[in-house]
Amino acid sequence: MIKIENLKKIYHDNGLPVKALDNISLEFQKGEFTVIAGSSGSGKTTLLNLIGALDKPTEGKILFEGEDLSLKSKSQLAELRLYKLGFVFQAYNLIPVLTAIENVEFTMILMKIPEKERRERAYKILEELNVANLADKKPNEMSGGEQQRVAVARAIVTNPSVVLADEPTANLDSHTGSQLMDLMEKLNRDRDITFIFSTHDPIVIERGRRHITLRDGKVVSDTSKCLQ
Amino acid sequence: MIFLKIAWRNIWRNKKRSIIILISIVIGVIAIIFFEALSVGFVNQMVNNQIGIHTAHIQIHKNGFNEEKLIQNYLPNSSKILNELRQLNEIKHMSQRIISYGLITTAENSTGILIAGVIPEEEKNVTKISEFLIEGSYFLTNKKEILISKRLAKSMDLSIDDKVVLLASRVDGKVGSELFRVVGIFQTPNSVFDKSTIYITLVDAQEVFGLNNNISEIAIVSSNLNEVAKLKDKIAKIIGAEYEVLSYHDLIPTLVMQQEMTGNWMLIIYIIIGLAMIFGIINTFLMSVFERINEFGVLKAIGMNEQKLLLMIVYESLILGIIGAIVGSIFGLSLVVYFSKVGLNFALFSEGLSAWGIAAIIYPEIVFFSIIKAFLVVGSISLLASLYPALKALQLQPVKAIRYV
Ligand SMILES: Nc1ncnc2c1ncn2[C@@H]1O[C@H](COP(=O)(O)OP(=O)(O)OP(=O)(O)O)[C@@H](O)[C@H]1O
Ligand SMILES: [Mg+2]
Repeated sequence: MIKIENLKKIYHDNGLPVKALDNISLEFQKGEFTVIAGSSGSGKTTLLNLIGALDKPTEGKILFEGEDLSLKSKSQLAELRLYKLGFVFQAYNLIPVLTAIENVEFTMILMKIPEKERRERAYKILEELNVANLADKKPNEMSGGEQQRVAVARAIVTNPSVVLADEPTANLDSHTGSQLMDLMEKLNRDRDITFIFSTHDPIVIERGRRHITLRDGKVVSDTSKCLQ
Repeated sequence: MIFLKIAWRNIWRNKKRSIIILISIVIGVIAIIFFEALSVGFVNQMVNNQIGIHTAHIQIHKNGFNEEKLIQNYLPNSSKILNELRQLNEIKHMSQRIISYGLITTAENSTGILIAGVIPEEEKNVTKISEFLIEGSYFLTNKKEILISKRLAKSMDLSIDDKVVLLASRVDGKVGSELFRVVGIFQTPNSVFDKSTIYITLVDAQEVFGLNNNISEIAIVSSNLNEVAKLKDKIAKIIGAEYEVLSYHDLIPTLVMQQEMTGNWMLIIYIIIGLAMIFGIINTFLMSVFERINEFGVLKAIGMNEQKLLLMIVYESLILGIIGAIVGSIFGLSLVVYFSKVGLNFALFSEGLSAWGIAAIIYPEIVFFSIIKAFLVVGSISLLASLYPALKALQLQPVKAIRYV
């Protein structure tokens, strides 16, 4: 469902070119649970951002469900992110002035889903993720793990086909981290949502069913558990 | 709605900053409303004084009289015209006058002046000269009484009951001269007028100028100040082309100039207030936008498009603008109401003001339109001032934004 061809990304840091991704070609299938590992600066975040259409590649192209992202307008890309993609970042995922349930509802508001349905769906997801008790709390009244759970709730409430998670456990202790992974595994199983993670965290790596390792912007290994 | 809600909560996230913006908007609105009221009060006082001291709303003369106030240019058939004018409801009061140049002399001094001959009872209704007396009294009889200004009294060393001689050229070309007794000394807010004008009764003026029963001017007060132009046209049509019918605008061209000048000053004040507000708001908003870069990044990432993001930021300053405009209007209006009763004392500038025909105390006047103006000004300012920071926020790429995390 996602096809990457000869992807290159060169940043210009104070005029000096930095090669963040170097000729990457990959393919992701529906329902995969993929972990992208690699040392710091190897290009993991860059790759996720390009897949999520948050940034444009220097060369190469990305086909999302057969459609070339480079051919889409800004507002079409915003729509793609809204309807097809879910994001979970390392931190600061939630809108600080909104409560948990309002945060989860937010994307549905952008989708113009009627209020009643919105509320119900948001509440159900919070329940499913065991954070319904936090519905009326603001992000600064929640722990890091709770915030990440709410962030996952927001990412999946719109039924995206792919969730991109950039080091989602980096700020969590190992116990909370594995609980979050349990959750995402379950969602992957139950809802057939494709997950792509970037991480350093062994807990995440251990859960992955496909492992891609990057070094200096190149894919150095790509293995799947089921093939082993 | 959700964007309004978010904007509203974002405003109160940094209370101190929002309150600073609010205060600056409130002060700006108060200033706009107050200065507007002051300038309207100023202009109206100027107009009313000019009208009320001598000019009245409309004057009728023989053609050309206003250019050159020669006694030969007296008003032909004045009683016929007066009868026609008495039929008009739009006319509230009329005063018959003789106006012409002359000399006022004492044993020591003599100076050129404009002699105004009036019927005491009529003139009382048309102008306020009878109220401007500071010494002596208004006309008591028709027996050679004269009203002079305090300025003139001082420069010619005259006081009540002193005798003066008026010299003037008569209709028949001879020089008329009569002895008068000073019965009243007046002082109007208009120093230029005071320097040059004296009053005697119409009967005496007819004698001085040898005019028999003729007059040279009819001064008219309209029942509605806003319809003076209409009345002027109507009168001109009725009495015909032999006469000139002039409104106070025609008679005091400087008034229009002064009105325009006041308007220009207001514009300058608006611009200063506006610029101060714009830069204040832009600065604070830029700060608050940059602090939230990562938040905007996340919002973009989860699919919020640029227009909505823009809207959300602009709402913040619009809400502040509206609250500020409401609060400012309340304060501004209260201030105006208070000073419209008490008056604002500009005694310090009274010399300069009297040249404008203005008293030292100015009463600001409530102008409801100025509230609408203040709302429009503040609304567009807060829109403009937040647009730049908002556009700046849009330029941030979500990636970069998130990298700040
Ligand atoms: N916006 C940017 N401008 C300039 N250079 C950048 C930018 N983003 C990333 N880079 C550089 O590109 C390279 C890849 O960065 P990237 O963030 O993708 O690495 P990463 O694998 O996610 O690292 P980490 O594990 O530390 O998150 C690094 O050398 C980084 O410094
Ligand atoms: Mg990274």
